Amino acid sequence: MVSIARYIRGIRQVGIREWWHQMQYIGDVKSGKFAGKDQFGNRYFENLNAEQELPGACFPLCLCALNSCIARSPPMGRFCAARQQRDAGPAEWHSWLSHIRKEPPPVDAVMQSVSPPWKAPWIENLTGTRGAYRCYNTVKPKIEHWQPKVTARGK
Amino acid sequence: MSLLHHRLPLAVAARIASGRIPTVSTALIAHRLLSTTPRRLHAEPVQEGPSHVSDVSGRIKSPGLKTATYTAQDEPDKYVDPYKNGPGALDKAAHLFFFTEILRGMWIVLENFFRPPYTIMYPYEKGPLSPRFRGEHALRRYPSGEERCIACKLCEAICPAQAITIESETRLDGSRRTTKYDIDMTKCIYCGFCQEACPVDAIVETQNQEFSTETREELLYNKEKLLANGDRAEAEIAANLHSDHVYR
Repeated sequence: MVSIARYIRGIRQVGIREWWHQMQYIGDVKSGKFAGKDQFGNRYFENLNAEQELPGACFPLCLCALNSCIARSPPMGRFCAARQQRDAGPAEWHSWLSHIRKEPPPVDAVMQSVSPPWKAPWIENLTGTRGAYRCYNTVKPKIEHWQPKVTARGK
Repeated sequence: MSLLHHRLPLAVAARIASGRIPTVSTALIAHRLLSTTPRRLHAEPVQEGPSHVSDVSGRIKSPGLKTATYTAQDEPDKYVDPYKNGPGALDKAAHLFFFTEILRGMWIVLENFFRPPYTIMYPYEKGPLSPRFRGEHALRRYPSGEERCIACKLCEAICPAQAITIESETRLDGSRRTTKYDIDMTKCIYCGFCQEACPVDAIVETQNQEFSTETREELLYNKEKLLANGDRAEAEIAANLHSDHVYR
């Protein structure tokens, strides 16, 4: 079975320590070329070997020619060895992980040039925690309670 | 050989009796014909046509002397069904296909043992998304940090679900800006009309689809939340717009 052979080969390629870490997070052993690391310590890998990772399937709805299909949907072989349990990284790496951008963000010239200096740090989805977003009104309320104003006597 | 020598005179005698004088070769052929065999010559003649199937017993009787001159009209087995008691052709075909279908299904299972797994280990591995994917909304800023939205209310006008609410005021420097930009994400149908209507690329839909919440209240986005979304994802949004700038 290539699945067992692939599993053993993955353990041999990433080592026992990384194997344990990946089994706790991903639930599978994946190996690949190191693509980068974000500010949270998540590491991103890419494995374009079609023998080990399945190339991107050409969806039946896609009516384009075969060549453009291959160009449109690159192989699924990008994965994130995450540090946190909940999130898979900031927006730049999300766009690389979702195969929107071809190059990883540190070497993507377009991504580097359009990053503004005022860019805010990435925050994971905080729903269910105390940091969850609560809606509030951003304008002055149009109906105000009547506040009794008492003018001081004798003036 | 002795048998042949013994039978030849009989056949020649039969041909002579029918008025023809055959040569030796035709005598041999005539010997092989069914209608000229001695047993057939001694058989009882029966009625011609379909009546040779007896109505009483259903037994096939001898078809008579005219075997070699039968045509398509009076074939002898026309009213006999030899498959009457066996399974039909449809039954046999169904058995064949259903049995081989099991084998074909097992073969597909066996093939997949030797293939890399199809599983995508979400969220650590994601399927491909388009740069035009329409996910969570965001309000963008200019590179200088100035907010782009000029409160023209085109997105509010075009929104088919009427999920956008905008109020505007004149700022101290005289420019018109929104004071309220609310999107009810529970109403939104993610059609993308707002980002197409926007003249300054202020409201965009990012590729973030992982904004599920525990309560409905967290999905009522106001201006601060939308601007915060844009501030976090500005590099991704601008890169997507750059990759599509030929078509815009």
